This record gives sequence, structure tokens and C-alpha cells, in this order.
Amino acid sequence: MSHPSPTQLTRLLNVFGPVLGLLFVIGVFSANPEVRPYFLTGANFKIILTQTVIVAICALGMTLIIVSGGIDLSVGSAVALTSVVGATLIVKGWPVPAVGLMTVLAGAALGLLNGAAVAGLRMMPFIVTLGMMGVARGAAKWMAGNQTVNYPNSPINQIMTLTAPRQLLPLPAGVWVAIALAVVMAVVMRQTVFGRHVFALGANELAAQLSGIRVRLHKLIIYTLAGMFFGMAGLMQLSRLTQGDPTVAIGLELDVIAAVVIGGASLSGGSGSIAGSMIGALIMAVLRNGSNQSGWPTYMQEIIIGIVIILAVAVDRLRQRRAG
Amino acid sequence: MRATLLRWLLGMGLVFPLAGLPAADKPLKIAVIPKGTTHEFWKSVHAGAVKAQRELAAQGVKIELFWKGPLKEDDRDQQIQVVENFMTRRVDGMVLAPLDSQALAAPVANAAKAGIPVVIFDSDLKSDQYVSFVATDNYQGGCLAAEHLAKLLNGQGNVILLRYAVGSASTEAREAGFLDTLRKHPGLKVISSDQYGGATRETAYQAAQNLLNRYGREVHGVFAPNESTAIPMAKALRDIGQGGGRVKMVGFDAGTQSVQDLRAGDVQGLVVQNPLRMGYAGVMTLVRHLRGEPVAKRVDTGVTLVTAENMEQAEIQALLHPPLDQYLK
Repeated sequence: MSHPSPTQLTRLLNVFGPVLGLLFVIGVFSANPEVRPYFLTGANFKIILTQTVIVAICALGMTLIIVSGGIDLSVGSAVALTSVVGATLIVKGWPVPAVGLMTVLAGAALGLLNGAAVAGLRMMPFIVTLGMMGVARGAAKWMAGNQTVNYPNSPINQIMTLTAPRQLLPLPAGVWVAIALAVVMAVVMRQTVFGRHVFALGANELAAQLSGIRVRLHKLIIYTLAGMFFGMAGLMQLSRLTQGDPTVAIGLELDVIAAVVIGGASLSGGSGSIAGSMIGALIMAVLRNGSNQSGWPTYMQEIIIGIVIILAVAVDRLRQRRAG
Repeated sequence: MRATLLRWLLGMGLVFPLAGLPAADKPLKIAVIPKGTTHEFWKSVHAGAVKAQRELAAQGVKIELFWKGPLKEDDRDQQIQVVENFMTRRVDGMVLAPLDSQALAAPVANAAKAGIPVVIFDSDLKSDQYVSFVATDNYQGGCLAAEHLAKLLNGQGNVILLRYAVGSASTEAREAGFLDTLRKHPGLKVISSDQYGGATRETAYQAAQNLLNRYGREVHGVFAPNESTAIPMAKALRDIGQGGGRVKMVGFDAGTQSVQDLRAGDVQGLVVQNPLRMGYAGVMTLVRHLRGEPVAKRVDTGVTLVTAENMEQAEIQALLHPPLDQYLK
């Protein structure tokens, strides 16, 4: 790393932009002397990190999909359905590891269906996953009997439980899981042949195909892998609500897409980074947390988050124009 | 920016010292967390909280109020986030209307563990970690609605219950009270009680239309357990020409539109809570607890049946038109 190549430099800059954004947002809330003593504490950042876990894990899958030139609108429904699957299995008395595994696999199954339609039938991912958004949401309500699935206390609840409310450590297990998955995915995206193929696919699908990349197989793998992340997020949601809720996470897909876009990915595919997406997810969580604590009304939060998304895309446009 | 970062890093590792009750000149910070902020009901709660704040200020007790609903109306996860964020804000106490009796139990237990007392209002919580539960006796409200409907129908006819949403303890108690009381009237038959209106007026309107499309010709009486189901149900009844009392309707809560429907004769009765008293009693109970005074574990804020006959009485008018402007400017 002593002599970074030009591409490494660009990548560094791409990640640096979102980092500046994150520091700026933290700085804005810290500027208020009344809020600072509460906002800038380990305890508060533990809460922010915990609140980021679900969006962050989903963003891992979504980054993969968006970089490959696709989109997935069924994320929120997938999280709801897999959380109901998990809760139902707990009620049925399945052991904890099996519940975790099946919840993740349920997500993978949804992803496989999406991938099969996108790759096998050459359908537009926007439409396919829009359909899946309805199918999975309906299936979740059906499976849950149109109500929440409540179970007696389970060790799964511990994954996202906050302990020691006055300090940063220990972080809930869910935060560590998200960090570990992010590190693995960052390596996969940058260092593996598969990761490079995902970028190639998003940058120019035809060129990728002509250079011998098995486009359809890759799409199938990408959507299935992303589905596994959505299932994992479903497990986290289950743990957080301590119940399976078929109406949870409505509109989550928009938060996830926003995180990925704020993180520097382009919706036209071929660019984006795991680190950027993680910071994008953090920026939104910090905005929510900070506006709560500053006593800003809810509508201000919505307006500000909207503006941040538009700014992020504008910055991306400028960057591309300069590069082009 | 560098100084900010340094503070942040320092703060991450620091264990913050226990903050006791603030000194007399420092205001008590109290967060009031409703289920949403757009329903008129919650605005009355807000007014009640401000009323308590003003009365306490007159006694020399300063209160700083944070009024904050979930970012997405009726989203459990977002309400959990609000509770957590106020926990690290180190407010002196919270007054919370939980969106779900189970999902909010862990965050409330967490706040209690962090030494922040929580008063629950409006909807029950499956927990014993709260200071007090300030609410309408919702079951009683459902019973009152059923008795009134039975009287309107002379004990004979087919009845529809349009439910509100799963997991909302307050409306579920009303629905249970309504159905239990109807059973005492063998001439009344429940022809539908398994449909849910959902979070918004739009979803409830669709559910009401669909129900009336199926049962419109055989139904004689309808009960809707809250504002967001009652208003669309009355509208759907008007749409099919069954307004004006041809189908008897009893609603819950006193939204502006519901009161108009009552006056116009499309609604024959409204079971009305006292949200202003709820906000008031919630804050007052919390402050009493913070001062170390004993408080009741359950505070009932009462229900009243409002009909076209009694709606002009002064005390009913105060319920129907809470003096919001006086408190919320």
C-alpha cells in the first residue's frame, strides 16, 4: 500500500466522501452544547450501531445487487417474511441454531426465486422484485395468521439486546455479526474473481458476457446471496421486536437503497463499495438519533434524510462527469 | 472537526457517571412518546402534557417536554428507536404509548435498568418494569358500545365489528369488551368480526367497503373501535345509502369528522375517551414518581358515551373539542 495505484486512490476518495458526510452529520449534532453530552457518548453510539444493524446487513446484499446493475425492492417484505418464519419455528420448539439457519435459508429461497426470474426469464429486476414485494408480504401475513407471532422468551432475543446502558461495550452480538459480514463481503467484492465479475457485469453486461463471464449463473448467485443477507436481517428484526411481525419493515427497501446510494454506488451499476454502503447506513441512523435527541419534529427528519439522499446522488453525478 | 472526533473517541470508551435527579433550578426532562403524531387523538394527549407542564411551572417545577412519535407512523421498530434514543439522551423519565404490548417490553426494561422511569399510557405493556399505566378502561369502553348498540337495535339484528390492528392492546380490549357484552344479547348475531382496518384511514376505508359489499344488505349495526376505523366506516355506510341511521353505527374516539357524523345522524353513538386527561395524568404521575411520592400502578382516565342527545352539554363539548389552541398555540 506504500504506492497506491490510481484505481486504489479513486476508491479511497469514493469511501472518503461518505466518511466526510458522516463526520459532518456527527459534527452538526455535536455543535449543540445542550445535546453534545448525551449524543457524543459510547452508550449512544452503541444504540446507533444497534439501530444500524438491520439496514446495514440488508445493504450488504443490496450493494452486491446494485453493483451488478440490478435492484431489489422486496427487501422489506423478505425481512418480514423471514422474521415470521423464525418466530413460527421458535413456537414449534426448534432448537436455536436450526431456527437461525432456516431463517437465513428462507431468505436465500426468496433470493433464488428473484434470481431465477431475472436470469432465467430475462425479466427486469425492478418488476420481478416489485412482484416479490407483494408475494412475500402476503405470505408473511398468511403464515402469521394475520397477526404477530409471539413466542416465550428465546435466546434469539439476546442477539440484539442492549446491556450495560451507560457504556459502549459490550456491543450486542448482532453488531459484531454485521461488522464481520461486512468485512467478509468487502474482501469478496475486491479480492475475489467473483467480486470482479460482479463489477464487470454491472459496468457492461454484454462485454462481460463476451469476455466469458457466465452472466445468468452470476445473477442467480448474486440474488440468492443477497437473499441470505435479507434472511439474516430478518433474524435480527425478530430478535429486536421479540416477535415475528408480518407488518414490520414496510419501506425498508428504500432505506437500504438510500444507504447504498449515499455510500457512492450508482444505480446504473458497476460502481459502489461495501464500506461506503455501511457508512451510508450509519449516516441515516445518526440523523435519526440526533434529530430525536435535539427534539426536532419528525417531519424535519424526513425532509433532511430526503435532502441527504439527493445530495449524495448529485455528488456522485459530479464525480462521474469529472471522471468521464 | 478534529476536536469533535477526539471527543467522540473519548466518549466511546468512557463510562458515564450516574446522573442523579437534577438540581432544583434544572428543568426535569420528560419525553412523551405517542404511537403517531397525525391523529387528532395524539394532539389532545400533547395538549394534556402541556397543561401538566404549565400547572407544574406555576408550582415552581420546571419541565422540559420532548414530544416525539415514531418516524413512520405505527412502525414498532421506529418507536423502539425513539425510546432508545431518549434513553441515551438521559431524560429524567418517559411517558410512552406502546405500539405493541410485547415489542416495546424489552426497551422499557432497558430504560428501567438505566434508571429512567417509564409511565405507560393508552395501551398496555406485557411487562412489570413500568411505574404506572395511565389509560382508559378500554374493555369497559367496548362494553358500553355494545350496550348502546343493543339498545339501538332493541336486542335484535346482525352486527359487524371492524377491528383496528393486530397487537394494539387498547383496541383489542375494546373489541373483546364489545363481543363479550354482545353475547349477553341472544338476539344479536355477529356476522363479521375478523376483518382489520389497519393503520390508515385509506386501508380501513377499503376494508369497510369490502365488508359492506359482502354484508351490506343484512347488517343492522356496526362497531368500529377507533378513529381511523370509525370515520371510514361511516363514510362507507353513506356511500351505499345506509347512512342516516338505517344501519346503526357506534364508533370510538371523537375526531372532528366523527363528531360531524354524529351530528349529521350517520353515527348513533361515540364512546369517547379523555386523551387530554391521559397526557395530563401521564406527566403528572411521572413527576410525582420522580419526586419520590407513591403512585397507583393503574390510573383510569374514564370513558363517556356521546350521543346526538347529550352532545351539546358543556362537559361533553369539552371532551369533543379539547382546547388544543390554548395549549398548542
